[in-house]
Amino acid sequence: MRLHEIIVSVGGGHELDRAGLSALIASLPGLRVVPLDKTPPPQVLVWESRGSSDDLPSVSSDTAILLLTEDAGYESLPETVTGLLSRDEPLTALGIAIRQVARGEQYLSPSLAIAILQKREPKSSLTESQKSVIESLTNREREILGLLAQGLSNKAIATQLYLSVRTVEGHLANIYSRLSVHSRTEAMLVAVKIR
Amino acid sequence: MNTTPRTRLAILGTMSDLHRQPITYDLDCLRKVVADLGPDLLCAEITMDAWEREDFSKASLEIREALAPVIASTDIVLIPVAPTPERYTDFTPDSGWRRRLVRIFDRLLQWGQVQADDVQTVNGRWFGAFCHTVCWLTEILWTAKDRATWEKQNKELTENIVRAVQRDSGRRVLVAVQCQRLHRLIPMLRAHDDLFKIMPYQNL
Repeated sequence: MRLHEIIVSVGGGHELDRAGLSALIASLPGLRVVPLDKTPPPQVLVWESRGSSDDLPSVSSDTAILLLTEDAGYESLPETVTGLLSRDEPLTALGIAIRQVARGEQYLSPSLAIAILQKREPKSSLTESQKSVIESLTNREREILGLLAQGLSNKAIATQLYLSVRTVEGHLANIYSRLSVHSRTEAMLVAVKIR
Repeated sequence: MNTTPRTRLAILGTMSDLHRQPITYDLDCLRKVVADLGPDLLCAEITMDAWEREDFSKASLEIREALAPVIASTDIVLIPVAPTPERYTDFTPDSGWRRRLVRIFDRLLQWGQVQADDVQTVNGRWFGAFCHTVCWLTEILWTAKDRATWEKQNKELTENIVRAVQRDSGRRVLVAVQCQRLHRLIPMLRAHDDLFKIMPYQNL
């Protein structure tokens, strides 16, 4: 089986930023950079944000947007934005974030996740049903939930537990379903409450 | 009914540390093979302690400069399986006729390596048989203690691979080890064919 190439476009920011980012992405294995107006559309659009989501272009529903940003101060984001990558992250996180959003998952940099959680109102406690669900989780699932609360990406969780990324994704899907949450951020909110 | 797919496992022999002297070895080729295969797990020869401390000082060139960068930029997870940092070349006798013979075998291997300078040939049957024979003859020249240490190391390495597969079954696993281990490791891994299916790396 060969690794499928992921088609990526770069937009936003200044021309020099875009050129640098394109060269960087093209140097990562399994990623190819094409112009945004290319047909078929890219799977992932990496967008250099200037602090607002107003300048985001309208893209095909097959394109996931990964926003490269400095903070998590957005009031709302379009549905096509499935990833928020902090500029503080190391280079290696870029490839991981692109792969994650290309698979239809969400990506949130740990530093941004923590900032989002800190912005929220003081935490309400867990509901009785959430408590019973958490008690019924397996040791491995509880371990993964704990690492999620630290803001780790799926790859970082997998690396720490010596499991494949797909296995971690499987555990997370199971955790979401049992906690009746629909996103990573919601699961993180629950996870933070039990820390 | 168990619906978990069977683990697929391939073994890739790497050879940058085949000789004490530096030799030309195209690490780009190894990087490309691993990135293209995109296994879920990559079992590599580095100790868990060294990997967690990101201390590559005792790791081979292929881990430092080929595997670690690929791992960092893809979804592949590295499983450190080396029981100790000792490598094949650490077992060469210190002096005497045994050492002279080992050097001759080294040169023979070096010659063979120059002849077989692409991944397909290196992992092919004929080069494999040639290398295995030379490595087997070299091992005979080691002291009994060194042979026992080498054997124990291969056994522990196999156990570490088996544990990784048991922890995360149904995945695509690539084992990248120094090629001198292959003639020891392959039979030991085949003994666990109830846990995984061993296949050529191209078919992973």
